[in-house]
Amino acid sequence: MKPAPFDYLAPVTVEEACAALAEAGGGATLLAGGQTLLPLLNLRMSQPFIVIDLNRVAALKGISRGQACTRIGAMTRQCEAIASAELARALPVLVKAVKHVGHHQTRNRGTVGGSIALGEPAAELPATAVALDAIIEIVSVRGKRETAAGEFYLGPYMTTLEPDELVTAIRFPDWPQGHITLFREVAQRPGDFALVGLVGALVVEDGKVARAGLAWFGMGPTPIRARSAERMLLGQPLEAIEANAVAERAVADTAPFDDHHASAEYRRTVGARIFARTLREAFPAKEAA
Amino acid sequence: MSEHRISMTINGLRHVSNAEARVSLSDFLRGNAGCTGVHIGCEHGVCGACTVIVDGLAVRGCLMLAVQAEGAEVTTVEGLAAGDGTLHPVQQALYDEFALQCGFCTPGVVMTLAALTAPGSKANEQQLLAAMSGHICRCTGYQGIRRAAKKLAAAPAGEQP
Amino acid sequence: MNAPGVGTGRYIGQRVRRKEDPRLLTGRGQFVDDIVVPGMLHAAFTRSPIARGRIVSIDTAIARDVPGVHAVYTQADLAHFKVDMINFYLVSPAVETTPLANGRVAYVGEPVALVIADSRHIAEDAASLVEVQYADETPVVSIAQARSGAPVHPATTSNISAQMGEEEPDEELEALLRDAPHLITHQVVHQRISQSPMETRGVLAVRDGAEELTLYITCQSPHLVARWVSLALGLRQTAIRVIAKDVGGGFGLKNHPWKEEVSVILAVLAFGRPLKWIEDRYENLIGANQSREAEMVLRTAFDAEGRVLASHGDYSCNNGAYPQLEECNIAVHMFLWAAYKMPRYGFLTRGWYTNTVGLAAYRGPWAMESLIRETALDVAARRIGIDPIEIRRRNLVRLQDQPTLSCMSIPIEDITPAECLEQLVQYFDVAAFRKEQAAARKAGRYLGLGIATYIEPTGAAGSIVTMTGELAQVRIEPTGRVTATMSTHSQGHGTATTMAQIIADRLGVPYEDVTVFEGDSSRGGFSPGAAGSRQGVVAGGAAIKASELLADKVRLLAGHLLETSPDLVRIENGMAHVAGKPELSRSLRSIAEIAYGEPDRLPPGLEPGLEAQYRYQPPPMTLASAANACVVEVDAETGMVKILRWISAEDCGTAINPAVVEGQIAGGLAQAIGMVLLEEMTFDAAGNPTAATYKDYLLPAISDIPDFEFVHCSTPSKSVGGMRGVGEGGAIIGAPTLVNAIADALAPFGEIPLRLPLTPTRLLSLIEGRDLAAKVEHPQPEEASAATAAADTPATVPAPVDQPVPAARAPEPAAPSGPQIDGDWKMVLSTPVGPQAMVGHFETDGTALSGYLKSEQGSMGFTGIVEGNRLKFDLKVDKPMKITLKYDITIEGARLTGKVKMGIFGTAKLVGERG
Repeated sequence: MKPAPFDYLAPVTVEEACAALAEAGGGATLLAGGQTLLPLLNLRMSQPFIVIDLNRVAALKGISRGQACTRIGAMTRQCEAIASAELARALPVLVKAVKHVGHHQTRNRGTVGGSIALGEPAAELPATAVALDAIIEIVSVRGKRETAAGEFYLGPYMTTLEPDELVTAIRFPDWPQGHITLFREVAQRPGDFALVGLVGALVVEDGKVARAGLAWFGMGPTPIRARSAERMLLGQPLEAIEANAVAERAVADTAPFDDHHASAEYRRTVGARIFARTLREAFPAKEAA
Repeated sequence: MSEHRISMTINGLRHVSNAEARVSLSDFLRGNAGCTGVHIGCEHGVCGACTVIVDGLAVRGCLMLAVQAEGAEVTTVEGLAAGDGTLHPVQQALYDEFALQCGFCTPGVVMTLAALTAPGSKANEQQLLAAMSGHICRCTGYQGIRRAAKKLAAAPAGEQP
Repeated sequence: MNAPGVGTGRYIGQRVRRKEDPRLLTGRGQFVDDIVVPGMLHAAFTRSPIARGRIVSIDTAIARDVPGVHAVYTQADLAHFKVDMINFYLVSPAVETTPLANGRVAYVGEPVALVIADSRHIAEDAASLVEVQYADETPVVSIAQARSGAPVHPATTSNISAQMGEEEPDEELEALLRDAPHLITHQVVHQRISQSPMETRGVLAVRDGAEELTLYITCQSPHLVARWVSLALGLRQTAIRVIAKDVGGGFGLKNHPWKEEVSVILAVLAFGRPLKWIEDRYENLIGANQSREAEMVLRTAFDAEGRVLASHGDYSCNNGAYPQLEECNIAVHMFLWAAYKMPRYGFLTRGWYTNTVGLAAYRGPWAMESLIRETALDVAARRIGIDPIEIRRRNLVRLQDQPTLSCMSIPIEDITPAECLEQLVQYFDVAAFRKEQAAARKAGRYLGLGIATYIEPTGAAGSIVTMTGELAQVRIEPTGRVTATMSTHSQGHGTATTMAQIIADRLGVPYEDVTVFEGDSSRGGFSPGAAGSRQGVVAGGAAIKASELLADKVRLLAGHLLETSPDLVRIENGMAHVAGKPELSRSLRSIAEIAYGEPDRLPPGLEPGLEAQYRYQPPPMTLASAANACVVEVDAETGMVKILRWISAEDCGTAINPAVVEGQIAGGLAQAIGMVLLEEMTFDAAGNPTAATYKDYLLPAISDIPDFEFVHCSTPSKSVGGMRGVGEGGAIIGAPTLVNAIADALAPFGEIPLRLPLTPTRLLSLIEGRDLAAKVEHPQPEEASAATAAADTPATVPAPVDQPVPAARAPEPAAPSGPQIDGDWKMVLSTPVGPQAMVGHFETDGTALSGYLKSEQGSMGFTGIVEGNRLKFDLKVDKPMKITLKYDITIEGARLTGKVKMGIFGTAKLVGERG
């Protein structure tokens, strides 16, 4: 389990990184936290000609306030996100999600942007970005572009990111103080990818759901936004919400699969349960009739 | 393939040597720096045996390239006990609690606990136990590791439990 | 929590800290990969990517040309060494077994070529460049397939590797079963397990001239490895020294070398330079011998009061292709009912060859007997309507019933499972738990209590050629310190600690003054080391006897020097005292200085020096007993199991060091918990291992293991010192205890089909009353992915396709001009993350293939080769990381089947039809 040979570049600016990526013409792999890439290199599943290490690009690090949003530099480490008072205030559900990524030791290296750019369908952060309507900032020598997280994921480990592009930051739009956070994952051990997971937020105004962002992870080839469930929730008074019915609707949006760890039908069944359970714990939803 | 001159501080001493870009930090520490206490158990980041402290944080040695540690302060299990052989509080707690059997996973366990009980980064019991879920021990059933972690969490930072 | 009777001396019975720990805690352990010798080179293997087939050709030319590569060996290069791959009993295998594949491959991961290079990195580079052409054959993967499939080994007529018992029904026994008030038919399907020591296998072989060979090898006994290598390789004239100071766990995997280690040793004999091979975790999970994988049906008849009347067991285990022991696990049947008043038992037991990696031992290799018996007893208790504790009380052999003979004629003389059970229920308030359970159930929470009892044969000596006594050599050095060289070996067992405790205790010296050396075949004498829970019993007895001999000599000499009777001399704390005369004290050092350096002061005829040795031969078999209880809660919404409490009441006789004893039990219990809930080495239909990393092979983490509570029953055995052995017990009794707790919790839903592991999917299937693993057709999701949801376009996610791989394809008439390949094919690839639909376009030109694959994600071109109706091509996927997909497609008429190798994601099935 030793990697195949590769060249190594450690640019210090985004421009240098983009130039190196463009020059490699698809033969390069970006190294962010490396907590997924290094196993693949060690297993020789990934055999790039060049590894471009982003860890010395200072401009990619840090958490800052933007216009009605929080901007997280792609190379912000997961441990930094957990320790961030700014995130704890603005995006408590993101902090909760990050705490479920891997283990303490991998979060000390792993980055927020790395996880979001990779697109593991059972991972917490891509789903959080999709649920919270995050905007992904992307750059290449061809210029800058932005994409909604909801449009970014195409399949397992497949995104709209072109070989010459890199993710520079993720912008999470503000959610008002006091919004309801929803997070639950079912995994066999801490640090494992979820068998089923859901993440999201709700805003309640005048006793009714005024805004909803909910997404599944581990329930299909990509993170899956629970749009139909959101539609059922919007405008509803909390006490009128039938958690089980919403959960059933939410599961209908998914396309889970069988794998080594659980069956698709398990995921559907448990997905509905934990969705309903999470709603009921978040506010006094109606019990099933 | 690129070869790099890599310098870092290992257990307080400057180390400079050459390595290919593809050499992991754990292989570098073992092969180039002679720190054979860094154990390699899975090379895909699950077992935790290779955990070392890089710039104050416990990380997987197998999930970092050596070249990435250029300029870093690295501490391995060899760097904890005092020169006279007095064990580090973490080592002493594990010793007292029969927290190891074959000892292969132990260096990683020691390093995570050492990082999380260092002055300034003292973690509580729940955090210590949660961090222990990043280590696989096939021998002990984790009984002594859990006892030691609880003992360390209860002791003031940097002090003997 | 410790029962009285644990401690019997100043050191025996005490929780003294381990001698091994300071070096292991400070990174100064000496594992095989820590050894570096001058001129050392590194090895890597080229391994078979297919489960079964003929090797058409091997081309090593490109690999040999890689800079830094010294040699590439195949079996042809090593065939002149006549190797006999003997088993643990030193018996030759029934089927031809070679270190490297000999013309055929029989499992994925089988070593085919060995590369010697300057570094492991380069060796791996070159190993991937060894070009091997295979002619694939349909593999036999499961036991069911082995029953009817073509023989794995061409020289055999069936896949039965070993068989015992009666094939024809025993009519008398059948009548007893048939006519009984209650007949419980109980099946257990036990998954395959990876022993997974944290230190993988590894060897550094050094040839010191023509007649000397030094092996640094991670193993369970350097003595056994030396013996095995000498016999297997026919090196009778060679001085073989095997060194293994620290070993990172063995658990049965490291009993003796196998294909890889032997290949490395042969390569050293052929090439001359020192060579190191350290197995990586991927190799360990696919290529190292595995364990368990067995199926058993146990039929047991009970009378109306729940007393056992008769029983029959039908057992099969999947031996793989080249097991370390071609066996049918007769021990399962020998011990199944040994602790119970079972009048009559019959069995049929078989081992099967398959195209999977061969089996080796794992802690408690016969553990199926306890698993199936104890879970069957609980099923019976529920069926008959009696308490699970009561059914055991009615059937267990108690101390007052002994001595007796078991139904398989095993002498049962001093077992205590019934007594352990009573101590257990004294400690654990069963009635209070039942109340709590009933209340919880009303609240929709499912708590369960599992109880199990067992006995275990330990300390075997004399019954098997390699299972011998143990040698202890103890000496008081001229410095007064005590040194022992032992035939023991620790892979975490702490024998340097427990043996030092015994010696210090029986010699009368401080524990700190005793050093135990082991782990080197040039020290101590032969023993099989850690195998069968034997070292505490056998080596413990040897250490006691040798220490007593040495103490006698000290007393003799001290008495002579102090002009008193040796009978009045007491040795305490490193000093020889004369009773009642404190002024007549002498340090052991001063006595030793005289013993070694002033022979003229010794009594006439006394041999100089202070040394003694003893080889202890224990009773042929010692038995350990235990009763365990655990409490679980099963989440009825997710099928997840949480272990709330676990109590172990064991009788391992004298506990030399209770902390070490508890460590052994806890480790075994943790492995049992892994077996019941997490671990599973799976194979796909093509025989590819699908749990090839620790992301898929789930080992228990700290959060999976509760705090264990211990009750020590400690009835001394008849062996010297009274030890009973404790190494394997936890791994044996843990599984039925936990299964019973889960079954108790879920009893309102019915009986659990006992297929391990009890995954959330399997448990929730019971709770839900429907098979959640079965394919269910679901309507296309309205908005299948975030991308399409946002764009409001039709779903791109294909519906699940249920397309089983055809086991035996019906031959279809071939078109006279060969198969029609060119054109478009509609294909569905079953990836680990769901089915992926695509269109494949092929164009053939002789044996050249070109084309493209088109899917929602775009189109990618490829070139490849055509072999008749087979297409092979590689597709490099760049995004988001570079992965090579290896396609292997067979076309038959309008149908297409195939597989795609996707590195650690395993192999995916491909099916298709004319598009």
